[in-house]
Amino acid sequence: MDASSDSASGKAQPTSWSRIGERGSLLGIRFTAWCYRMLGRRGCLPLVYAIVTYFFLTDGKGRRASRAYLRRVDATPEGHRAIGHTPGFLDSYRHYCAFALAIVDRLAIWFGALDDFEFEMHGSENIDQYTEAGRGALILGAHLGSFDVLRRLAQRSGIVVNVVMFTANAERINTIFREISPETETRVIAVDPTSVHSVFAIRERLRRGEHVAILGDRIEVGDRDRSIPTPLLGGTVELPQAPFLLAGLLGCPVVLVIALRSGPWGYRVFTELMAERVVLPRRERETAVAALLTTYARRLEHYCKVAPYQWFNFFDYWGDAASTSQPGCPGDGGRPADRTVSS
Amino acid sequence: MAAKVSQSEILGWVVEVFQKEFDFGGDELQLDTHLIDDLDLDSIDAIDMAVRLEERTSVTFSDEDLKNLRTIRDVVDLIDGRL
Repeated sequence: MDASSDSASGKAQPTSWSRIGERGSLLGIRFTAWCYRMLGRRGCLPLVYAIVTYFFLTDGKGRRASRAYLRRVDATPEGHRAIGHTPGFLDSYRHYCAFALAIVDRLAIWFGALDDFEFEMHGSENIDQYTEAGRGALILGAHLGSFDVLRRLAQRSGIVVNVVMFTANAERINTIFREISPETETRVIAVDPTSVHSVFAIRERLRRGEHVAILGDRIEVGDRDRSIPTPLLGGTVELPQAPFLLAGLLGCPVVLVIALRSGPWGYRVFTELMAERVVLPRRERETAVAALLTTYARRLEHYCKVAPYQWFNFFDYWGDAASTSQPGCPGDGGRPADRTVSS
Repeated sequence: MAAKVSQSEILGWVVEVFQKEFDFGGDELQLDTHLIDDLDLDSIDAIDMAVRLEERTSVTFSDEDLKNLRTIRDVVDLIDGRL
């Protein structure tokens, strides 16, 4: 499929994750948390596979999304080498299982088993330099591998990382985490990227030398009219401008962190400096952000080829199935008639 | 007790921020200059403006404040009322 059809709706990701409400992940996390508490990791795994199989068999849209994604990876030489064959039904199942394992690891970490994991660090000096200097950085991640590993590792090392999330899901996820681990302080900032209040809240943390982490691969509700079509895996996706706009407004460095599962108790954590300082000239702001998003997408593409089954966006990410924009979806936002500067 | 800052002094700060951060010329920046119609500011510019002015004046803008700003005079009055 070519780029033009990928973005046929103008703004892609029409079957938005925020509409789906992370059906599988939230319900699944709650249930697997209960299993983990009752049975431990070893006893929990067969149940997790059963749950995943149920979701896999009943989630046609998710299956199609998985297959479409894997085919995109397979269409690249490196991706084809990583997958080893043309992806089919079982590869999508493997993709779902990888998600389940990520959830179990996440639970293990939340239940206090962080020290049982081995972490192979690559480029950690890219974030350490700012931690040591007491300078807050914006840590950019994706639904690729485990972002949660990063947060817990940071906590263990005494680094404060605040995770920025879309409000509604932040509250639901916080509720689950509070149930799992009431003694753990979860530093989740619920934000509206178009709110000056949110910007001030983030700035406050950066000024204290804390880091602020944000996932940059999905359009949130508040990003509707602030996304840019960006090439990714042979197609075009809408990526949110918010992370780079924030970095530009607040003058902080941007560091990319991707933690990929390498085995039952192992992760490889890759840290790359994306920008020492984001400069966004007012007249060419969108062009400057587009260039940064293109770099970000290239790195995502690289890591998708390294670990094809750890991309956890089980929806029509490229908008392949969409023909028109739907109300309430990313892309239907417009500028209200009331002409005030923060409309 | 600190002396009351005059409106013209506040206007000077606002103009300075717009010139330095947004590259506007001084003669574009009058009290009645409209932030959108004349300066073509958008919501990100508004947040940028709020962040820069807060650094300059210590006056914090709320989202509601930004929604109500239309002209440079509104910005000056808001800062004047908070100092």
